[in-house]
Amino acid sequence: MSNQSAHGGRDGRGSRLATPGAMLGAREGRRLGHGVVETDSGLIATKVGFIHSDEKTISVLPTHTRYTPRPGDLVIGVVEAVQSNLWFLDINAPFNALLPMSLGPGKAEFGGARNVLNVGQTVLCRIQEVDETHSSVVTMKGLGLRRIDSGLVESLPPHLMQTLFSDGAALKSLKASTECRVVLAENGRMWIDGSADSITEVVARIDRIRSMARDISNRNEMIAILSEEVA
Amino acid sequence: MAAPPVPELLRAHLAELAKNDERLDGRGRFEGRAVEIETGVLARAEGSARVVMGDTIVLAGVKFQIMTPYPDRPTSGGFMTSAEVRPVSGVHWEAGPPSPEAIELGRVVDRGIRESGCLDMEDLCILPGEKAWQVILDVFALSDDGNLFDAFATAAMAALRTAVIPGERFDVGEDRPLPVSKKPMMCSYHRVGGRYVYDAVRREEIGGAERIHITLGDDDHVHSLQKGLKGAFTADEFAEIMDHARQRCAELRNMIE
Amino acid sequence: MGGYGDVQMIDENGIRVDGRTAGDIRPVEIRAGVIPVADGSAEVIWGTNHVIAAVYGPMEAHPRKIQKQDRAVLDVRYNMAPFSTTDRIRPGFNRRSREISKVTAEALETVVLTELYPRSKIRVEIEVITAEAGTRCAGITAASVALADAGIPMTDMVISVASGKINGIVVCDLNKEEDNYGEADLPMGICANSGALVFLQMDGDLSPEEFQQAWDYNMEAIAPVHVLMIEALEKANGGES
Repeated sequence: MSNQSAHGGRDGRGSRLATPGAMLGAREGRRLGHGVVETDSGLIATKVGFIHSDEKTISVLPTHTRYTPRPGDLVIGVVEAVQSNLWFLDINAPFNALLPMSLGPGKAEFGGARNVLNVGQTVLCRIQEVDETHSSVVTMKGLGLRRIDSGLVESLPPHLMQTLFSDGAALKSLKASTECRVVLAENGRMWIDGSADSITEVVARIDRIRSMARDISNRNEMIAILSEEVA
Repeated sequence: MAAPPVPELLRAHLAELAKNDERLDGRGRFEGRAVEIETGVLARAEGSARVVMGDTIVLAGVKFQIMTPYPDRPTSGGFMTSAEVRPVSGVHWEAGPPSPEAIELGRVVDRGIRESGCLDMEDLCILPGEKAWQVILDVFALSDDGNLFDAFATAAMAALRTAVIPGERFDVGEDRPLPVSKKPMMCSYHRVGGRYVYDAVRREEIGGAERIHITLGDDDHVHSLQKGLKGAFTADEFAEIMDHARQRCAELRNMIE
Repeated sequence: MGGYGDVQMIDENGIRVDGRTAGDIRPVEIRAGVIPVADGSAEVIWGTNHVIAAVYGPMEAHPRKIQKQDRAVLDVRYNMAPFSTTDRIRPGFNRRSREISKVTAEALETVVLTELYPRSKIRVEIEVITAEAGTRCAGITAASVALADAGIPMTDMVISVASGKINGIVVCDLNKEEDNYGEADLPMGICANSGALVFLQMDGDLSPEEFQQAWDYNMEAIAPVHVLMIEALEKANGGES
């Protein structure tokens, strides 16, 4: 009854933004990517986002999404709770991650876990495994994985992180123009380290980007912000 | 659920910024966010306002009820403030009965208004000993990015100053504006990175320590003070923020009709 | 033309007190992304109704006993602000709000792909800022837009609208004045694309013919609202609207 208003792009208006329930036509042998499911009446979008379609795949590039852990992801976590032989980390996901003592940054005597890593501390770690209920185990065994003791952690929508930094050039110019060290994690967080002034400069840029984050078509403008020369 | 831990990095960075007298969002120590005030925003309230300060958004609504005056003050009306900080306004606000924080918010806002004497309780009398108006002020948070206190107090004043007593609906005379003779305004200060800043955002509140709220009346008279959270401050520190509060309250007062 | 007491709510030409005809809904405005600190949010102004919805999550569900092993919990709260009605509402526990929260959650659970986020929680906060009549419908509609705005995967968006009867005549989307003399109320939550129903309540007295008419009015009302929902999401999310 209302299908005429429901297809993904509203033709003639130049937009290819899908909304949940939007009919995306027949499958035609394509793989279903993010934000697309198949129903009796064809493919439908499950998210707000831009439709990406070619011969092989159809997907929705979401304008906003929650981080979902995958094995191997580099993530930044904040310790939320400590037990005798493990830590619980907030990794910006729908569920906290576990860091077992054996995969932690150092060995502790029984009851001494807090001395190694305490509540409120931040770590750079990697997703070790994800079970079928999406709870994840992280590890700090690996090159560059460590407790973060300086700088600041900022957040950006996870999908935007990929869009903006996919080719590495934007990150390079951000670092060069602000003289900051910047480490991007896949869970929508970034570690910024440098002088207080230079961190403030990066934070200001991230704030500006965040305010336009929902519109992927601003990508070039956002990359320009990252690369600006400091006045 | 227990409150999430304060990230140590945030606290350390705020301290680092404070060394150069800087803030997270580049504002000066006593620089407030832009304040937007719009009145008449609630169709069912007799007076209302919306205040936007950055990503903090609040509403205030004024309603009237008829009450029986208290026996010891038979010619006085009443005034009541209630603050609602429901979980709509942030991931850190939980459902359930009003938290101590929300109750504190409502009471501090209430005291500043009540003690300034801006509401003439005698004027609210309808029939001595029998009927009087009760003014009910509801402040309601929609989006909390810090400093709900000042946002609430500003919205409250703007709503009260535009409120109309609904005499006709209650069959006790004509509708008339609620007389609000003064404009008590609140300024709030948080200890962030070791020193006090004005109009803290949420991250400064999280990584900060104690806070002080000052409500000043038209002639810089002090009407309410509140120190919240763990921490201590010196007389010199207080003198400095009081100086700023005098100037800033006057500016805020000019933003309200 | 029937009457209810002495009050005539519809004139001899079938025009209602606010100038609408029987099948018309009130003017509707929808905006998304109105609460900056939320993961997703929406505002629905439906006649004089003003409803705001915010979504947080999916996030870790606390306490543990509310977790569902195979899906996310939709934690829906419908609440009327104290200043939303002519007579102030005292804040606090309220059976009506609890029931509306429950049926709203169950309606939305039908379209949200909760199985993608086992053991987590998605918070949906519905706040009625100004109430006229039909706040539960406006709340469900606002919540749908807020969920979509938050990037929560869903198979459809739900639009809710009610029809009823005044002066013995079936009309769509009663306003407050009409509702005071309403003889029946049939609110429905309808999936915008599939047309499936996920929310249904009714009270009053309707003949089989009247019931069918009310049903049809509701079904016909959703298409224009769906367009407004899509436009709101496009505007807030970078579509060209």
